[in-house]
Amino acid sequence: VGFEVLSVIPTASGLLFQMSQQEPDVVIIALDSPDRDVLESLSVVSSHNPRPIVMFNEAADQEFIADAIRAGVTAYQAEHINPARVRTAIDVAVAQFSAFDALKRELDATRKQLSERKILEKAKGMLMRLHKIPEEEAFATLRKLAMNKNRTLAEIAADVVSIVEKSGAQEGSS
Amino acid sequence: LNTQQQLPPAEKDHLRVGYLRLTDSAPLIMAQELGFYQRYGLQVELCREASWANVRDKLVTGDLDAAQMLAPLPMATALGVGGMQADVITGLALSLNGNGITVSPSLASAIVDNGGRPGEDAASTAVALAEYIRSRPGEQPLTFAAAHTFSCHIFLLRHWLRAGGLNPERDVRIIVVPPEQMVDSLARGAIDGFCVGEPWNSVAVQDGVGAVQATGYDIFNNGMEKVLGVTEQWHQSFPGSHLRLRLALMEACNWLASTSNRIQAAAVLADKSYLDRAIAELLPSLSGQFVFSKDGPALDLPHFHVFGRFQAGFPWHSQGEWLLQEIGEMVGRDLSAEEVTLQVQRCFRTDLYREAASYLHMPCPSLDYRPTNAHRSVWEFEPGIELGPDMLL
Repeated sequence: VGFEVLSVIPTASGLLFQMSQQEPDVVIIALDSPDRDVLESLSVVSSHNPRPIVMFNEAADQEFIADAIRAGVTAYQAEHINPARVRTAIDVAVAQFSAFDALKRELDATRKQLSERKILEKAKGMLMRLHKIPEEEAFATLRKLAMNKNRTLAEIAADVVSIVEKSGAQEGSS
Repeated sequence: LNTQQQLPPAEKDHLRVGYLRLTDSAPLIMAQELGFYQRYGLQVELCREASWANVRDKLVTGDLDAAQMLAPLPMATALGVGGMQADVITGLALSLNGNGITVSPSLASAIVDNGGRPGEDAASTAVALAEYIRSRPGEQPLTFAAAHTFSCHIFLLRHWLRAGGLNPERDVRIIVVPPEQMVDSLARGAIDGFCVGEPWNSVAVQDGVGAVQATGYDIFNNGMEKVLGVTEQWHQSFPGSHLRLRLALMEACNWLASTSNRIQAAAVLADKSYLDRAIAELLPSLSGQFVFSKDGPALDLPHFHVFGRFQAGFPWHSQGEWLLQEIGEMVGRDLSAEEVTLQVQRCFRTDLYREAASYLHMPCPSLDYRPTNAHRSVWEFEPGIELGPDMLL
């Protein structure tokens, strides 16, 4: 889109310094960054930092701002920059954020699956040892419990693990 | 609740309400924990926000229904200075005071060496700071931080500096640092001092990286600190929900007026899902046993935070005008007297406060203005209306 990324700053410290060094035309910032208040202060307290930054122009439509905010980004622009170009930049940022978000969700789902599988294995192992039954039978027991109680296999497995661990602790202490 | 007066229904009963990780978020959090929202038929989801800019933008886009705000923010937002313009109003102030000015240990000892007596005389610390600054001509100016451009923190800091004979524009550098980064910035030497809300002064004291020089109360007795902000449009669409929300919060503020309740509140606020800080960091300001420096004595400051007393919830126009004039000064804009009156009338809705107070049988002022810098002790504004001291440093 004809923009050059000057700098990506992970955290706040040094933001003021970076702003004065790089004099960016547009700053795109994640909404969960507490630095938004710092950034906005620059547009007011201009004596330390001459670069004017405003969030969009009055022209920016409400719906577009809402979309950007829901996507998790917002942009600050230098006053002389054409709002249409900022819009392009933020569109790209929103797309990237969405892509990142999708990736993150996928990762979360995978992690959840993994941990569910782990707890299922653990519950199975406990039942096998406790009742001296083979793996298939332990699994069948868990599945039957889940079906009867109308809950997921992972939830039942977690219950079994916590119950067995608790009773185990009591045995150990008595 | 007055049973004669039927509460209007809530047009919307699921509300998202924003707050920041600050001790004076107590009313919003305790209203949840004590079931006050529920009492008024509201189901409130509290949303912890990272910045005041977020709070404002999410109010405007409707992602939040209402939010805790710094007292100057509704007007700064209405003026469109420093960010998005939007008509934000308040019908309820949530707290008075609650801030402190803290400096690095080395600056603290320089202030003591120059005759400053923190905890005894706030003016003396500012005078001593000025002495110290004058004793080192040609050196880099000291840097102070505040949490937001349009905050009581900056106004208090500037007032304190002026009380010492310093020019806040010329003699020091003032920057904005997010509250959560204040203590770390002070410890790293990136700043020399800050003015911020609790728990961050107490955190700096307990970590041994800062010493308090003045409390917000020392600088301006019972200055309005946080308010409940909503957009004007939201209020027009959901007046019943807004009224119920204010009533729930007023009950929480009244509950927080008692010191013993506040100790209970500290335990709740400390929780991971709210402030996620140690109870010990929240207790000094909430209990009114405030500590200025590590291993220093606890001073009895019952008005460090004021909730539900001294008509703390009333959005005084006199306070609004003071705040708006400070905003004008910050942005170098000359606001005419007429402009100021109109803007304050639009943002600080005393009519909404009176409406809510009548449901709770709480007495409230019949006038929108009160004097400033005129009372050193508690006084009676009108029959049954007790106000706190109102001195400026």
